[in-house]
Amino acid sequence: MKSLTITQLQKTYFDPFTAKQVTAIRDISLAVDAGDFVSVVGPSGCGKTTLLNTIAGFLAPTAGEIRVDGHAVSGPGPDRGVVFQSFALFPWRTVLDNVAFGPKMRGVPKARRHEIAREYLALAGLSHAAERYPNELSGGMQQRVGVVRALANEPDVLLMDEPFASVDAQTRMTLQEELTRIWEQRRPTVLFITHDVNEAVFLSNRVIVLSHGALLDDIAVDLPRPRAWDALIESAAFKTLAARVLQQVRAA
Amino acid sequence: MKRNRLAAAAVFVLPLLALLVIWEAVVRAFDVSPRVFPAIEPVVRAGVDAVADGTLIRHIGASLGRIALGTLIGIVIAVPLGVAMGTNRAVSAFFTPLLRFFSVLAGIAWIPIATLWFGYGFGAITFVIFNAVFFVVAYNTLLGVTAIAPPLRHAAASLGASRWRLLTEVLLPGALPNIVTGIRTGLGFAWRGLIAAEMIATNVGLGYMLFVARDFYRTEVIVLGMIVIGLLWLLIDRLLLAPLERATIERWGLVRAA
Amino acid sequence: MNSVAIAVSPWQRVWSAYVRSTTRHPALASLVPFVPVVALWAAVARSGLFPPVFFPGPGEVVQKFFTLMANGILPAYLEDSVVRLAAGTAVGLALGIPLGLLVGLSDRAHRALWPVLLFFQAIGDIAWLPILLIWFGFGLTTMIFVIVYTVLFPVVLNTVLGVRAVPLELHRAALSLGASKARVVWEVVLPGALPNIMTGLRNGLGFGWRALIAAEIIVGTSGIGFLMFDARRAGSVVEILLGMIVLGVLWYVVDSWVLAPIERATGERWGLVHR
Repeated sequence: MKSLTITQLQKTYFDPFTAKQVTAIRDISLAVDAGDFVSVVGPSGCGKTTLLNTIAGFLAPTAGEIRVDGHAVSGPGPDRGVVFQSFALFPWRTVLDNVAFGPKMRGVPKARRHEIAREYLALAGLSHAAERYPNELSGGMQQRVGVVRALANEPDVLLMDEPFASVDAQTRMTLQEELTRIWEQRRPTVLFITHDVNEAVFLSNRVIVLSHGALLDDIAVDLPRPRAWDALIESAAFKTLAARVLQQVRAA
Repeated sequence: MKRNRLAAAAVFVLPLLALLVIWEAVVRAFDVSPRVFPAIEPVVRAGVDAVADGTLIRHIGASLGRIALGTLIGIVIAVPLGVAMGTNRAVSAFFTPLLRFFSVLAGIAWIPIATLWFGYGFGAITFVIFNAVFFVVAYNTLLGVTAIAPPLRHAAASLGASRWRLLTEVLLPGALPNIVTGIRTGLGFAWRGLIAAEMIATNVGLGYMLFVARDFYRTEVIVLGMIVIGLLWLLIDRLLLAPLERATIERWGLVRAA
Repeated sequence: MNSVAIAVSPWQRVWSAYVRSTTRHPALASLVPFVPVVALWAAVARSGLFPPVFFPGPGEVVQKFFTLMANGILPAYLEDSVVRLAAGTAVGLALGIPLGLLVGLSDRAHRALWPVLLFFQAIGDIAWLPILLIWFGFGLTTMIFVIVYTVLFPVVLNTVLGVRAVPLELHRAALSLGASKARVVWEVVLPGALPNIMTGLRNGLGFGWRALIAAEIIVGTSGIGFLMFDARRAGSVVEILLGMIVLGVLWYVVDSWVLAPIERATGERWGLVHR
């Protein structure tokens, strides 16, 4: 896993309805250390999704640089894996084939890539679903597949775009705990976008607050690990941090 | 808003104008013989002449008359029949494969037997059109009515709907998307059946105009006819079918595939 | 609660037998309704309501079927028709799918070609026959051209629909998993559009075989369409009816038992909703 460095990133686009240039991201500089878990929160429209799409390479920045492990990147690529809010699983491929997709693109032979896929599915407790099609699975399971699919490709950086926003609250908490568990084992470099402040504090080491396309605050989260909801939900430290982040988001 | 409409129309027409330019350029550059493909000017001239001496109007009138009559009769008989069949489960189970078979056969395949039964001319051609529209619309109406979930019918009944009301307020609206799809498909078959039948079974009409021009190598008349046919279908599509679909399918949702 | 013995009406008995047998053998449901129809046909033919010259009975048609099978005419004509349709469809698919991909994926191609496609589709296949006859004469080329033309448009238009229906996020997911743009087309766009392509193929074939028949009637030297029109010229209704039934059965079988299941399988299995 590698580091992610954003330098003076800017993204403007033309809005045909108002016939104006809109600045979604103004001059953001951000460094994510290798193996770190950083969340980005902010009110709707603060630019966090645009930020992720730009880092992922789906949008081209208007100015500024994105570097992974010191190398400049542009355009999408396997070095920056993405987990989507809508899961984006390929409906015509089984769960196993979905997870094996990245290795397939790299040219890994069939037997080996299926092996890799099964390994990662086991990590998320999904081995029994390997031969199913995505539309046969619940939302929570689909997103697990989404996470594991991105991880199986061993990206340098993992970008997660409000991945748990489309599942129900109970499932969300389970997925958050699973994600932390996987992260604490594997230590990928993660940039996590969310509007849920509690989720951000639970998962990350750092929470970045965005406001109107600019960095508002950068809050360290030094809660002990491993983390679990039933412990943290009562913890005073958690509540203080969450309150502080929320205050910043509200002020944004 | 109006500016947008005009802009959209312009964007649509532009590639077609480009096509005209390419047409003329190719004919000139390769010195294409007029017996193979005409240049634009002869086609326009043929068009002007045909309008002036009334023949084009006569042909268009004949074709449109046949298709209008056949389609109208077809729809008027097919829809009530389809609805009636769809209301009874046994009846619809019986008739679905039958109608499907005939709708699959509808149109052009009936040309030989139509000309035998009705002789050459208006009757045979209108029959082919009627046939194409009738079976396809009846089949689709049947599908549409049977697809209306029983709970909807029950709901209407328990809200006090009389049988007539059930028909007009639940069955017809519910089946309308399918009916409209049927009309589009049926009309498509009918239009082709019309042109094909006019080529062999009559002495007036667009198909006839095209076919007879072939004998004299009058390619400019053929191309004129093809353009007229294309424009007519586009008109039928834009002015009749698309609004119909907009009002029903798009408002009420997807249609179950036939 | 006592069970009350209620008399079962004969109609209910029939209905019950029908339901039971068709659940066990679903194909039966498509065939049974034809029995009374054929019976009705035979009755009307025998009644002399219409002169037998215009309205022969099923018996004669069946007889003619065996005659034409035995002397090889029917198989030969059938083969000719089917081969033309298959060849035309293959070319139509080979041209239509890539064209559909192009127009679906490229906004510029879409803007430039969509109106042209719509206009040429509006002209329709049959209207091309006269000029094709001038160019290629009364032969195979003309017929194949018509079929290709007919199949092409539904395939292209439906492919475009299918391509545009593939969610952007699937493109993005594939890209961020390391797929090149070309691979995205092969691994994501094509499978994603497949249900719509199947619909296009089905529609295309529906119009295609009709165009074939029309072409065979007008141009033909062989084929089912020619069989029917030639019989009409000779005033022999039996062959016309036979031809129609053969066509109907053939298409019914191909459409209901080959194409529709494939279309359903791709759409339903992948949980895709498509129009």
